[in-house]
Amino acid sequence: MIKKRMITYCDALREATREEMKMDKNVYLIGEDVGRWGNLFGASKGLLAEFGPVQVKDCPISEAALAGCAVGSTLVGMRPIAEIMYIDFITIAMDQIVNHAVKYHQLSNGKVKLPVVFRTQQGVGMRNSSQHSACYENWFVNVPGLIIAMPSTPYDMKGILKSAVRNDNPVLIIEHKALYFTKGEVPEEEYFVPLGKAELKREGSDITIIATSWMVLHALAAAKKLAAEGINCEVVDPRTIWPLDKETLINSVNKTGRCVVVTEAPAEGGWSGEASTVITENCFKNLKRPVKRVCGMRTGIPYGTVLEKSVVPDDEWIITAVKELL
Amino acid sequence: MNRGELLKLYKEMLVLRNFDEMCLNLKMEDLIMDGFHPYSGEEAIAVGVSSVLNKDDYVISNHRPQGHSIAKGSTTRAVFCEMLGRRGGVSQGIGGPMQWIDYENNFYCGSIVGSGMTIAAGVTMALKKEKEGRICVCYFGDGASNTGSFHEAMNLASIWKLPVLYILENNQYGEAMPAAEFVSVNPISKRGGSYGIEGITVDGNDVEAVYETVNTAVKKARTGIGPYFIECVTYRTRGHYGGDPEHTYRTREEVEEWKKKCPIKRVKVKLEAMGVSEMELDGINKEVIAGLESDKDWALEQRFPTLEEATDHVWIPSE
Repeated sequence: MIKKRMITYCDALREATREEMKMDKNVYLIGEDVGRWGNLFGASKGLLAEFGPVQVKDCPISEAALAGCAVGSTLVGMRPIAEIMYIDFITIAMDQIVNHAVKYHQLSNGKVKLPVVFRTQQGVGMRNSSQHSACYENWFVNVPGLIIAMPSTPYDMKGILKSAVRNDNPVLIIEHKALYFTKGEVPEEEYFVPLGKAELKREGSDITIIATSWMVLHALAAAKKLAAEGINCEVVDPRTIWPLDKETLINSVNKTGRCVVVTEAPAEGGWSGEASTVITENCFKNLKRPVKRVCGMRTGIPYGTVLEKSVVPDDEWIITAVKELL
Repeated sequence: MNRGELLKLYKEMLVLRNFDEMCLNLKMEDLIMDGFHPYSGEEAIAVGVSSVLNKDDYVISNHRPQGHSIAKGSTTRAVFCEMLGRRGGVSQGIGGPMQWIDYENNFYCGSIVGSGMTIAAGVTMALKKEKEGRICVCYFGDGASNTGSFHEAMNLASIWKLPVLYILENNQYGEAMPAAEFVSVNPISKRGGSYGIEGITVDGNDVEAVYETVNTAVKKARTGIGPYFIECVTYRTRGHYGGDPEHTYRTREEVEEWKKKCPIKRVKVKLEAMGVSEMELDGINKEVIAGLESDKDWALEQRFPTLEEATDHVWIPSE
C-alpha cells in the first residue's frame, strides 16, 4: 500500500536534488545563492550543511561562467545541476547553452556526453516586474539537442528532475515561481517521470486543453467550472515541451475534436504555435473547429499584484476560449 | 635546452608551419570551404605549451585551433580531414576548420570568442576535485580578453584557485582590430592583477621562453593550485583568415618586420650555432613536408559525411 503524502513543489525539488546527490557524488548543485541561502524559495535549504561546499557550490553573479563551468565539468565526468535564479538572467548564459552544451555530442561524433541539467524559474507571481517575470521557453524549443521540461505539479517536479539528472543530454527544466508553494501528492518511494511523456491531468470528451506549467492549474480550474455547466474538458500537460509527446496530444484531440493551447508566454513565434500545428497536421479531419490559442499578452510584464496577472491567461480566459469553440 | 630537446621542438614547429601553409593552398583551391584561420608565426606557443602537457590533460582552444590540436596530439591526417570536411576528421568532417573535438586527446575548440574560458574553469573545477594532478590549458586571443566570458572566468578561476593555465596569444589583432587600439591595457597580462592573478608576459616567438614559463606554472598547477595567466606576445604573419583583406589594417612592412622574428628561424639559428648542419635542418624540413603531403593526399581521398551521418548524434533519444 503506497502511503499518501502531500508536499510542496519546492520540497519535491529539494528531495530530488538531495536523493540524486546522495546517490552519486558526481552530481552537484551550482548556482547563485544555492548554498548559504538555500535558493530564493528554499529549494536547496540545508543541502550545503549536508553535502558541503564541493557538492553545493555558490557561484558569483556570473551566469556565463556558471553555465560554462557546468558544461566544462561534464567533460570530466560530473553531472551538474546548474541553477539560473531567474530565466531572465539566462540571456547571459545563452552562449554556453546553445553554442556549447548542445553541440559537443554531435561534434564528438557521439563520444562526449553532456549530462548537465539547467534549472531555472519563470513567470509572474512575485510582482517582480518586467526583467524578473518573463517566460522564455520559446527560445529554447528551437535549439536542436536540448530537452526542455516544464513540470506543473510536485509529483512531476520530483520525477522529472530525477530523470533529468540521469539523462545524458543537456536538459533545461523551467519551473514556475507561482508553483513553488503549491502542494501535491508525492510518494515516499523513489520514482521517475520519463522525459518526453505527456500526461492527461483530467479526462474529458468535449474539448482538449493543452497547457504548460502554471497554466495547467488554470486549465484545471477552468475545467472544473465548465464541468458545472456540463462541459467536459480534457486537460493535457505535455510536461516536456521538447521532445514533444505528440501521440498523447493527437489521441486526445482526435477524441474530442476541439483544442485550446494555453501558454503564459506570448503566442507569436512560440511553442503554442508548434503545438497547434502538430494538432492541425495530424487531426485535421477530426477537428470540428480551428485550434485556438490562449497566451500571454505581447508585453513586458507590468509591476504589481493585479497588473502582472492581468496580462497572462487565467481560468476565465480559458473558459471564454472553450466556449467560443463549442 | 639541449640540442636534442630543441631539435624536437623545431621539428614540431615545422609541422605546424608547413601544415598551415598547405591549408592556405587548400583554402585557395576552395577545398577548405570555410575561412580557415592561419596559425603561421605563432607556433612557438602551441609547441612550447604542449611540450609540458600529458595526453590526459585538457586543452580548450578557440577558432584558430589547428596548431593547438596537433601539438596536443591530434594526428595531422585527422586535422587535414576536418579542414576538408571529410570522414576521418577529428570531428568526422562535420565541425570544419574552427570547431572540433578530439575526444581521445581531451581537446575541445570552438569559434565563439571567449566562451572557452568559462568551460576551462569547469574542467579544472572537476580536475581539482579529482586530485590526480591533471590540468587544463585554455588558449585565447587579445580579442577574447575583451569579452564578458574572460572577466567572469578569470574571477571564478581565481576565487576557486583552479588549476587552469590561461594562455593569451596576443597576436596583435582581433580580426582587423589592433590590440593597441582596442584593448585598454598593455601588456594585457595586467588584467590578471584585477583578479588577484599574477599576469606574466613572455616573448611568444621564443619557444624556450614559452616552455620555461609554462613549465614552472604547470608544475605548480599539478599540485592543484592556480590559476595562471600567461600572455605570449606574437604575431600572425598570415591574415585573420586565409585571404583576408590585410591591406585594410596593416602594412606589408609591419608584417615583414615580424617575419624577421619568426620563431622557427630563431631556433634554426640557435641550432646552427650548436653545430647542427644546414643539411640536417633542411633534411628535417623535407621529411616533415613529405609526411604532410602524404597525409594531405590521404585526406583528400576520404569521403564527405553523408547527410545521415552529418545529422546524427544531435541528441541521445531515450530508450
